[in-house]
This record gives sequence, structure tokens and C-alpha cells, in this order.
Amino acid sequence: MPASLLAISNLSTYLNNGTELVKAVDGVSFTINKGETFCLVGESGSGKSITALSVIRLLPYGIASHPSGKILFNHQDLLQVDEASLRSIRGSQIAMIFQEPMTSLNPVFTIGDQIMEALQLHHPEMTAEAAQERAIQALEQVQMPNSRARMQDFPHQLSGGQRQRVMIAMALACEPELLIADEPTTALDVTVQAEILRLMRHLQTTTGMSMLFITHDFGVVAQMAHQVGVMQRGKLVEVGLVEQVLNRPQHPYTHQLLEAVPENLARHKNPNLAKPLSEKHLIAEPLVQLRHVNVWFPIKKGVFRHVVDHNKAVDDVSLDIAKGQIVALVGESGCGKTTLGRAILQLEKPTSGSIKLQGSELVGLSAREMRPWRAKMQMVFQDPQSSLNPRLLIETTLTEPMKIHGIGRSHEERLVLAGQALERMQLKPEHLWRYPHEFSGGQRQRIGLARALVLNPEFVVCDEITSALDVSVQAEILQLLLDLRAERDLTLLFITHNIGVVEYLSDQTVVMYKGRIVELGPTAAVCGSPQQDYTKKLLAAVPRLSLKL
Amino acid sequence: MTKQQISQEHLSRRLLRKTLNGPGVSFALFWIGTLVICAVFAPFLANSMPLMMSKEGEISFPILRYLRTEDVAVLAAFFTIILLWVIPIKFKFRVNLALVVAVLAAVVVLANLYLKPPQLVIYDNFRTAAYTEVDWRVMPPIPYAPQDYLRSYGGTGLEAPLAAEADQQARIHLMGTEENGADVLSRMIHASRIALSIGIVATSISMILGIIIGGFMGYFSGIVDMLGMRLVEIFEAIPTLFLLLTFVAFFGSSLYMMMVIIGVTSWSGYARYIRAEFLKLRRQDYVQAAVAAGLPLRSILFRHMLPNGVAPLLVAASFGVASAILAEATLSFLGLGLVDDPSWGQMLNQSVTSANFNWWMAVFPGGAIFLTVFAYTLIGEAFRDAIDPNLSRAAGVQ
Repeated sequence: MPASLLAISNLSTYLNNGTELVKAVDGVSFTINKGETFCLVGESGSGKSITALSVIRLLPYGIASHPSGKILFNHQDLLQVDEASLRSIRGSQIAMIFQEPMTSLNPVFTIGDQIMEALQLHHPEMTAEAAQERAIQALEQVQMPNSRARMQDFPHQLSGGQRQRVMIAMALACEPELLIADEPTTALDVTVQAEILRLMRHLQTTTGMSMLFITHDFGVVAQMAHQVGVMQRGKLVEVGLVEQVLNRPQHPYTHQLLEAVPENLARHKNPNLAKPLSEKHLIAEPLVQLRHVNVWFPIKKGVFRHVVDHNKAVDDVSLDIAKGQIVALVGESGCGKTTLGRAILQLEKPTSGSIKLQGSELVGLSAREMRPWRAKMQMVFQDPQSSLNPRLLIETTLTEPMKIHGIGRSHEERLVLAGQALERMQLKPEHLWRYPHEFSGGQRQRIGLARALVLNPEFVVCDEITSALDVSVQAEILQLLLDLRAERDLTLLFITHNIGVVEYLSDQTVVMYKGRIVELGPTAAVCGSPQQDYTKKLLAAVPRLSLKL
Repeated sequence: MTKQQISQEHLSRRLLRKTLNGPGVSFALFWIGTLVICAVFAPFLANSMPLMMSKEGEISFPILRYLRTEDVAVLAAFFTIILLWVIPIKFKFRVNLALVVAVLAAVVVLANLYLKPPQLVIYDNFRTAAYTEVDWRVMPPIPYAPQDYLRSYGGTGLEAPLAAEADQQARIHLMGTEENGADVLSRMIHASRIALSIGIVATSISMILGIIIGGFMGYFSGIVDMLGMRLVEIFEAIPTLFLLLTFVAFFGSSLYMMMVIIGVTSWSGYARYIRAEFLKLRRQDYVQAAVAAGLPLRSILFRHMLPNGVAPLLVAASFGVASAILAEATLSFLGLGLVDDPSWGQMLNQSVTSANFNWWMAVFPGGAIFLTVFAYTLIGEAFRDAIDPNLSRAAGVQ
């Protein structure tokens, strides 16, 4: 029987936002054993981060209260101790790393200063030299190359993955017994995520610390956890060993979440929806044809702003997209996939090359000449927060483009059409008379889809439309896309970084790396037997549900 | 169904309705409304001549004989706009017509100003037998014109409010008299014209210029932005007050010239605000979606971007109105303002320059300036809240 380090029993955290009391955490109990990882999984708003913040007591006084529960850390109840002893526990015995590596480091200090500050705070007796040595050692521990020189670097000189390494080094410098990691890899690319996860597992075996790992990704859970807790609306609905929870879920909610993971969706995919390329489509001219497209952003320097170099966001890309196909465009952040999508829609002017829609050249058209083509190709955006104009009713957002393109003879007719579009997206026609902030993220993405589809486009670019959504909502939207494609013979360019989604949704897959297309072909071929090294590396990095043995 | 009815109204009408429901706006509107009434009907509210009199059985309207073209134009514009509001036509059409009428009135006033020399009126004549020995007469509520220095009474300068009445004289000055002997309340009423017009006209000119120039700078960026910013810097280098002084020295003082100069020199701040907002908004997904939907530039700029970027501008504008009023006051202080026409700023300066402190000379115009600036700020804030649906729904305003 391993010794328990953290034992939480019947913990409740209520948040008071002035008008109402929110039961963010409601009677949660679990224990973390020494040297083990406990993963908390759940959708957004399920209270998993609040649980973690309650453990380290970082929630603001006055807003948060704990009406019941005990948090026993080394047999000491953290809910009872005073602020001074809490400060000595935080950082030195319990450390925390956050989701966003961009904002959790102070941009005006070198990373060496920041690690040393944390060290000297908890070990005032430590000399500057000793602290520096310990900091360098911590950076080496997180496998930061050339760590002695890196001490002098500022956060902006590091990549996202390197910053997260620095955060982990900072957390580990004081050798904590418990590390709380709040979605530490969500903002990172899959290959970087794989490295960080490997690093964290390695550090755990060498230092013997425990981890409370918060994530929404079951793939990550499968790789990291010894024990799993599934949270739903503040309650812990299922706790157990990872093999047990992932393979034989007991609670219906866990079951439902696991079903919604794209990897599992792909397994149950309705074969009727997967439409092979018919002869007709193959012979006909491709709907969208790209030839040697370049989008270069000039880098300017000096007093006269002369161009010293180019940032080649899209570099010599040629691609054919046949009608009725779903083409997935995969790649890591910064590989130019979004820029390519925007260039096809002429939202970004290509530096050179040719983009043809239905055989007509689009590059070089003026805004006026472009207008009739605009209705034929539409875009759905990534961020549900900013994709709808917050000042306009949904009605205006939907009917204004219809009016410009002469769809519907009168305003009344357009309202009916817009209502139908919303109904198709499983929303209600009454929603026309609401503002965007009254909808959830998934609903906003549906409205964004409706806005694109009211113009009856031939071709829709979906830019990471599900990456900000929870898995169950993502599964519904993906299902909707497949239905729409079957209904309207719609052609989709689906930009994503999620390989699971690619396997589930797409017919063709295009892999991009540093502005160039590395590999393209039918999804089964690209994902099943990748030819290029980069594709192999990318696929290997994807956290899979199937457990490591 | 009611929700649908409300939502189908025109965007600008919805904003107007929400603004009017904002907190404190009823007070602000009351004060601005009082000022508007004062400004429009100033000659009828405070004047030395009878509104109507009957002499030897013959009824006459002396006040109409002395109305200036300016007064007529303002009255005509006011009644036309009221009429437009009442008759049932399309809202958009109404707004446009009201704008046309306002512009016409402004043109008439300007043309009259430069074509006709001002009429000289000797107010003491109205206290002679020709106007007093009548069958009956109706006087305005305040029977003193702003430039009537009451010379026929002699030595009326700097009397405290109601002091003359306490002295058993046949005069009532609710707010006392100023150093030349004119009635302060009458001057206050006539000065509301200047306060209203200089603030609104100057700020409108600078806001329109600022929004257009800043909007193009922010939306197109690149070379347009570069040239625009140089223009902004040039205009920021011009000191408004010294330019005004120069113009006054060369061309004499004129209210309309001041409005234009204040307006033309102070747009750069608004342009900067709008440019910064538009640079940020341009990358927003909903603006990109509007471009992708092929919406015309006008709609992208003024429907999708401007309402989301206008909030800081409105706060700046409410201070702009205040600073325009103060700029006029400053000129008056330097003795370069309007010579004979009353203005609140000029009255405040009179109280500063006189030897002993006469509280009524400071409190009434000072209070009026304060209340006006306060009212504009309240309306600005209510408008900002109305534009933001998050706030207005939360506040229970539909």
C-alpha cells in the first residue's frame, strides 16, 4: 500500500460572483499517492482547475469559500493553516505550472533571474552562486540544451515548448513533493507536447514526486496517469485506475466522453458517409486549383524600412481540391496552414502563383471583381469569441451578406432562410434575435457555420473550428459537417492540428511543414503508412487512447 | 413576438432608444433640453421690447420687427425638425431630412452674417412713452435684452440678485446685474446659444474628420497609414489657441470661425483613437468574415468596425465638447472673444477681473458650464453602454 501524499475529502468550493453562488467544486474526494500521477479530466467549466487552485489556496478571498472538506497534505489540513505557513508550502512543497507558457513568465527578466528568485525565496540561506548552480542544474534536468548560456535569455527568445520547460524547471528547482500541472501542454504542438510529457514522466521517476495533472485530452491521460478522476459540473463522477476507467468506464458520463474522442468516433464511423471519389469527380476539373502559391511577408529593417528578408509563410504550394471532398490540412502552429486557407479566399494577397476556383483565376482580381466569387467560398473561424460581431444581432450577421449577394427577394424571405439555416445547425429560429454573447462556444461555431452556409457556397475553409471546443461538442460539430457534405456536395478544406479529427473526417490529407506541403494523399494512406519522416514524427507524437504497456 | 418587433427596428434607432434609457440620462436630457429651449427661444424669453402690445386699438408685435435672420433660421430649423419627428415617415428618411434642415439653417445663418451688417438697437427706446403708454402689452418673462445696459435707470452695475427689488425699484434681476448694468439671467439665456453650438459644432467637425481619416488609416494601414500619421503629427503641432488668436487678430472675432478652427485643429486625437481601434479590429475574425462575405467597404467600416471601436471616442468627445466651450471662454478672457455677445466664459472672466468678489457673477455661469459638461459626459457614457449589448442587457435595458 503506497503512502498517500495528498488526501482530499468531501471538498467543496463555492464561488460568489456577487449575485449568485456557484458550486464550482461539490463534494470531491480523492487521494494522490507518493510518486504517482492523478489526472483530473473533464470538459470546460467542470471545476477541475478550481479543484487544483483550491489545493494550493490560490483562489481570491471573499469570492471563494470552502463550506466543507479537508485537504490533507502530509497530514496537515491546508484549509486550516494560516497565510504565512501556506506561503512556505507553496513553491517549496507544492509547485504549480500553468497552461499558457507565453504569459506565465515575466518578459522583462532573464529566465535565470526568475528561477533564482524562486529558489532564494524559499531558501534564503542559499548564496547567489549556489542558487545559480541549482538553476542551471534545474534547466539541465528539463533537458534544456546549452543551459548555462540559456540563463541569460529573455522569455521572448524561447519557443513555446522551451518556455514550458523553463516553467517546469522553476517548479522543480525547489524539489516539491507535489506538482500541480494545469493543462501544461494544451497550448503546445503535438510533437512538443510529446517531448514535454516524456520529460515529465522521466522527472517523476527520477525525483519521485507526485503530480496532479489537469487535462481535457484522454490521449494525454492514457500516457500520464496512474489514477484518473472524471469531473462533471463540480462533482467527481468516477475515480479509478487508468486502465479501468479508460477500458471499462462505469459512469455514463465517462462513457459518453470517451465515445466523443475523435479516435473512437473514427471507429464507429458510418461507412455511408465516407464517400470515395467517384469517377465523375475525378474526370472533372478540380474545384480549387493552386499552382505555385507563395505568400511571403517582408521583414523590414533600418531607417528606410528596406526589405532584408522574407518570412515565407506559404512557399510554393500546389494543390488540387476535387468537388465534394473533405481535405484536411494538418501541421504545427506557424507552418502556414491558416495563411494558405486565407490566401485561397483572397483574404491575404498571395505574393505570386495562381489560385483558380471553378477554372477562373482569382489572384489579381479587384475587390469589385472578387465580389461574385465571395459567395462561392466561405470561411469558418477558429475562435468562437471573436468570430461574430458582438454589436450585431445574429439576424443582421446572417441576412446582411444574403442581401449583398441577392439571395432572397425581401427582408422577410431572408429572415425565413436565415431561420432555416439556424435550424439546420440544430439551433432555433428565435436565436436570430439574440446577441453573440448569449451563446456558448459550440453554439457560436454553429452560427459561424450558418453564416458561411446561407450564401450557398461551393467551398468552405474551416480554420480549426473545433479546437476551442470540448470533445462532446466537437463530436456534434464534426457529425454536422459530414451530414452537410452529404446533403449539399460541399467541399471542405479543414485546417487542424488534431490528427484524430483528420482520421475521422477527411478524405484527403495534406501535411504542411514550414510553409511547404510535405505529404499529401488519401487520409488512410497518409495516416496509415506515412512516407515522409516529418509525417511519421507527427503521427508518432499524437497521444493515443490505447494504453502503453 | 415583441422581441422580434423591437429587434427589427433600425440600428441607429435602437441605439437612440437604449441611450435614452441609460442611467442619469433623464437629468442630462432635461438640462440639455432646457438649454435648447433657451437657445431657440432666447429672443422671446429675455428681451427689452414687448412681445405684443395694443396702442390706440392697434395690435402690434414689436419683437418680430427686431428679430434677426439668425433667430428666424434657428426657429425655422427647430420647428421643422419637431415636425419631421411627428409626421409618420421612415426613420432613416427622417434623420436625413433633419440633417438637411440643420445644414440649411447653418448656411442661412452664415450667409446672413457675412452679407448683412448687424442691426443696431437702442434698447432704452423701449422704455420711452412710445412703448410704455399703451392700452396693454405683454412683456417677455425677463424684460431685459442681454445688451441692454439699462442706461435709462442709471448706475445699475453689479447689483446682487433681487437687490433692486429690495430697494423698492421697479426692476427685478433674479441673478443680479453685471458690471455694465445688464441683466445676468438674460445674458445667461442668450449665452446658451454659444455654449450649445460651439461645443456641438466644433466637436462634430473634428469627430467626422477624425473618424474618416483615422478609419482609413487603420483599415488600409501601410502607405495610407504612414501618410495619415504624418498629417496627424502636423495638426498636433499646431497650437489651437495661438491659431485662434492669429485669426482673431487678422479677421476679427467670429463665433463661426472659432467653431471651424477648433474643429479643424482637434480631430487628430480622434483619428489616433479610431486608427488604433481599427488596426486591432481589422484582424478580428468577424471583420475577416465580413470581407470574405464580400460586403461593401462602407458596411465593413461603419457597421462592423466603427460600433466596436467607437467607445473610447465617445468619452473623448464628451471632453472635446467641454474643451471647446473652455477654448471660447479662454479667448473671451484674453479680451479676444466675442465683443458684445454674451458667453458664459466671458461672464466668468468678468467676475475674475472685477475688484471685489461678486458671487452671482461666478456661480451662475460657472454652474451652467459645469452642468453642461456633466450632462454631455452622462450622455456619452449612456451611449457607450447602449452600443455594448453585454452591458445594456445586464442592466435590464432591452
